[in-house]
Amino acid sequence: MVAAKKTKKTHESINNRLALVMKSGKYTLGYKTVLKSLRNSKGKLVIIANNCPPLRKSEIEYYAMLAKVGVHHYNGNNVDLGTACGKYFRVCCLSILDAGDSDIIKSMPGDH
Amino acid sequence: MVKFLKPNKAVILLQGRYAGRKAVIIKSFDDGTRERPYGHCLVAGIKKYPSKVIRKDSSKKTAKKSRVKAFIKLVNYQHLMPTRYTLDVDLKDIVAADSLQTKDKKVTAAKETKKRFEERFKTGKNRWFFTKLRVYSYNHVVFAIDWCLEIGIEDLDFT
Repeated sequence: MVAAKKTKKTHESINNRLALVMKSGKYTLGYKTVLKSLRNSKGKLVIIANNCPPLRKSEIEYYAMLAKVGVHHYNGNNVDLGTACGKYFRVCCLSILDAGDSDIIKSMPGDH
Repeated sequence: MVKFLKPNKAVILLQGRYAGRKAVIIKSFDDGTRERPYGHCLVAGIKKYPSKVIRKDSSKKTAKKSRVKAFIKLVNYQHLMPTRYTLDVDLKDIVAADSLQTKDKKVTAAKETKKRFEERFKTGKNRWFFTKLRVYSYNHVVFAIDWCLEIGIEDLDFT
């Protein structure tokens, strides 16, 4: 019924992992590049903000299903996701190409 | 992490004259070529879908209704929507990268593709591929209904 309420602790840990990826890994921000990364199978994990329009969200999930890539629904809107990435703009979706030192790909994918 | 834009994948064209038509990837050029420095692929698609055949139809009518018109095109990946369906029709020998260079080569390739598509349609397999994509237009915004059902939106929010 109701999705498990995300505790503050796990939310912070995602933010920490994301910050580590921003520092040490490779990523792309934005819908067009996310689709590009899925098409050429470079993306390893896709993170989508919660106020992403439903059609776009479903499209990204479909691409990710075809590419067998995990999708993480971020608990926050595009403003929050932008802040979590350390950027001063809104980020609706992002794709992680190389996690660097972070373990975000290993610990996040099962999460819907 | 799995490459999915591979030969035999069914796709839907999103832009151009053939927008909304279903096609199958014959050859993909992931890194592009000198003339097209972007990922693109050679597709063979359906220009004119076969009509609905009912039991009452005479054999002459059925033959007429089961005709398919095909096209061959090089399309940018950005202008395709990949689907989870595949179409196992062997088109590699008829359609090659040079089929699009002269008009008569293109016409012969399209005619051969048409024949193969018609054979496949008559066997009744790959029914999804040979049905038109149902499209709904609301206030000048076009939604592909088939498509939305496919990716799981039942409730379209027209905002």
